[in-house]
Parts: sequence; C-alpha cells; structure tokens
Amino acid sequence: MKMTPAMRSAQESMQPGVITEEGFLGDEEMPIVDMIVRDEGEMISLGLSFEKTAEQLSYLLKEGQKGLGEPVTIDDKWLIRVVDPRGQLPCPFKDGLFHKMTAEIIRKSTDETLIVTDMSIHLFLEHHFIEGKGSQFRLEPQLLKRILFD
Amino acid sequence: MAFLIAPAAIALVAALLAAAISIVDKIVNNYGEVDISINDGKKVIKMDGGDTLLSSLASQEIFIPSACGGRGTCGACKCKVTSDVGPHLPTETPYMSKEELSDNIRLSCQVKIKADIELEIPDELFNIKKYKSKISSIRDVTHDIKEVTFDLQGEEINFQAGKYVQLVVPPHNKVKGYTQRAYSMASRPEDKNLVQLLIRLVPGGIATTWVHTSLNEGDEVELVGPFGDFFRSETDATMICIAGGSGMAPFKSILYDMLDKGETDREVWYFFGARTSKDMFYLEDMRELEKKWPNFHFVAALSEPEEGSSWDGETGLITDVLDTFLKTKIDPEKTREGYLCGSPGMIDACNNVLSKNKIAPDKIYYDKF
Repeated sequence: MKMTPAMRSAQESMQPGVITEEGFLGDEEMPIVDMIVRDEGEMISLGLSFEKTAEQLSYLLKEGQKGLGEPVTIDDKWLIRVVDPRGQLPCPFKDGLFHKMTAEIIRKSTDETLIVTDMSIHLFLEHHFIEGKGSQFRLEPQLLKRILFD
Repeated sequence: MAFLIAPAAIALVAALLAAAISIVDKIVNNYGEVDISINDGKKVIKMDGGDTLLSSLASQEIFIPSACGGRGTCGACKCKVTSDVGPHLPTETPYMSKEELSDNIRLSCQVKIKADIELEIPDELFNIKKYKSKISSIRDVTHDIKEVTFDLQGEEINFQAGKYVQLVVPPHNKVKGYTQRAYSMASRPEDKNLVQLLIRLVPGGIATTWVHTSLNEGDEVELVGPFGDFFRSETDATMICIAGGSGMAPFKSILYDMLDKGETDREVWYFFGARTSKDMFYLEDMRELEKKWPNFHFVAALSEPEEGSSWDGETGLITDVLDTFLKTKIDPEKTREGYLCGSPGMIDACNNVLSKNKIAPDKIYYDKF
C-alpha cells in the first residue's frame, strides 16, 4: 500500500531520537501503513473495535488518575497506576500535543500488564497505529483483549 | 588491480564531494561573531553564530530549562526574543498559546542564531549551574522509589526549598542521545554540597529505568539547576501540603528547611497518600519532625491497606481525607495556603477540594509540569 507524504513524515518522526528516545516503531522497519493494515486485521479477527477499546482504556486512565500517582484498584479487576512526568510530546501525525501521562494497567487475576499513554490512546483511536512490535508502548491486540475484556 | 579502479574512483569522488560540502557549509553558514543581549543588555555575550540559542547559552553556562536536551519535543525551553529572528517554526507552534505567539515567546532549541539577538529570561536563570556529581548513596525507600544522593564534589548549590534539578541521562542501551529529566530536590538547602532526589520508576520511562537498573554508587552524573518557582510564601498562613509517592521530595526539603530556620511557629498540615503500607515511606522521619515541631501535623493515608494490616492511620483517597480534615480539624478562621506537587490530574483534584473549602485560588501554589 502506498505511503502518503503525511505518513512518510509521521514515520520519520517515529524514529528513535526524534520525538522520544526509543521511537514508536519497536524492532520493525516496514512502512507504518503496512503495520496499520496488519494490526487492523488482527483487531477485527479478535472481534475488537478501536472505539470501544479506546473508550475502555480512557475510562481506566480517568479512574486511575484518582490515585494521584498511587496505584488504585478499579472494579475489583484492575490495578492501575497513572503517573504524569513533566513535559509534553507532539503526535507524530502532527495533530495534537500530549502530556506524558502513563498508566500501568494490571489485570489482577493474571498479573498481565499493559502500559498505556495519553499519546498511545490517541494514536490507537485516531490513526489505528498501535506502535511497532518490540515497542514497550505497543497496544498488542491479544493483550488488550485479555486484559480489558476477558 | 583493475577491479579496484571503480571503487577507488567512487571513493575519490565521495571525498571530493564531502570536502566541497564542508567548504560550502563553512562559507554559507558562517554567521561570524554575534551579540546575544540578555535582559536589556544586562549581560551581553559575544560568540560565533550558527548554533541554536539553547546550545549557545548553555556553552556560556546559562541554562534554560529543557527536558529533551534540545530536540524540540518537550516545549520547556521557552524564552522571549525581542529582536527579529523570523517567524515561528512549525516545530514551535504546537507548544505555544496564542498569547505566547503574539509575545514572541520562542523555543530556544529551535531558534538558530544568525545575527545579533536580544532576549529576556528570568534573572534566576543566571544562578543555574551544571554540576559534575558522584552518586554517594542509593537507597530503596519503597519497592519502586529510590532515594539517590549526589555528592557535588566540592561545588555548592544555593537554592530555595521546593526547587528542582535536571538529571542528565547519558546514552545507554537503545537510547542514543543525552536526555534530561526534572526532579524536585528532597535535600535541605543548608546541605550545599549534596543533592538528594526521590526517583520513582515510571513504566517505560527512560530516565527512571536507567536510574533503577543501571545507576550505581560511585557513578559520575551531571545535574543542572536549580530551577522552578515552587517555594513557600513568606507569610504566617497555615500551610496545607499534599503529595503522594515521589511528590514527597519538595516537601521534605521545605519542612526541614523550616525547622533549620526556626520557622516552627507556622502551622503546617502535610497530607501524604499511598496505596498500601509498602508504598508508604519516611513515616518515622515525619513522626520525629512532629515531636520537634508541635505545629507540624503529618497525616498519612492508605487508600487500600492490606487485610490484617496493623495500619492505624487514615484510610481512603488522600483527597477525601484532606476534605474531612479541612471541614473538621483545620481552623477555617486562619488564612490557609495550599501547596501541591504533582501531575495536572493531581493538581486539579486537589484544587477542587481546596476551592470547595474556601481556599482562594491565588493561595494555592503548585509546580506546573
């Protein structure tokens, strides 16, 4: 699939050392449009919708903020700690500026952990970009399903 | 030998091109000597142009706060440029409000100095220095917070309690460049030869992961500071301080500074929240402080104490505990001031409780992230 100039520019911004030290691409080098298509396919095959998943992530992030940086248990299912280090980051697609709010979401029954940021929810919902494999902020669809919906 | 001719020819052409580019760069990008005039000529620096404003000032030991090391990703290194340096760049505008754009506030890491330039910076930035420190101790105060003490190796730092420093994180593992991250100082201003920080592990955080996994006692680390405008007012109003986790740092510094300076007539309530007892720390230090300072009240609360725990302090979210104390235990007739250190979410939540309890917004002080 063809990369538009905007996609190419976003991919350049996602390289390590441009917006964040480690970048957004993990260990992958393929065009982001191919990653997006592949990951959209996996979301569909798992029966996940970007909107509902983002809604659930935003809900957990909002509830987690009530801990004021300390972990809080939500609905007796998840343990969440939201931290917000100083500074902001621009979206690689140039459509927003985000605080570095980071949430560690632990499913209490399995101890599986997901790391979510304000930026990663935006990338997920608005661009269907879940970061490359190997990125510690990748929203892996199977993990999302197990932690959020099982 | 004939097979070497083609690669050698290509190498020669490449070398000639590189030399040509280098010569052209020196001619085209040679801006000569420029004047950087700061605060209406209070300080004028003469230096070669061509570098960014942030780097040029840093080379003269004037440090504008920056969290990303000059890559234009943190939006922290703002300063007012009063001479013409061209329009804002697309890399700057996302970080600017309308007012800042019209006031010609610029990101100093994005402004290249090509001619004489005039700018305004807060006077206190002249007090900021870079320190080559050595780690004298690293102590786990909880399972995910380390208390790190930096020996300034003979240098002295002068700061008001509540201020922060930038920790310079060197390249490591996948991290190729230098990064800076801001941490409030937990040490007392009286201890001028050291800096103490409380560093909590942030999931996926570059700096905190480095501190928690790679930093050792004896390592040499650079610090830049002091920065910030969070400090106690010079009034006798009751101080209501609220923190959780590593937000303890500025308050520890402020409280011990008040004790050192004999400001113990002032009433201080310090609300500190944690989830379980394994997240709680410095309890004994705070209880000792209460014994020495009768007007100091430490209110620790656990939001989810473990079953069967021997915790006998407050329970619940710290904002709820704060609300109860404001309604029942803290004298509303006295002027009260709120002191907060944390994320925008934490500030909002605490601001709500303080406002509902009639503490005026202009009496609530916090360190904006």
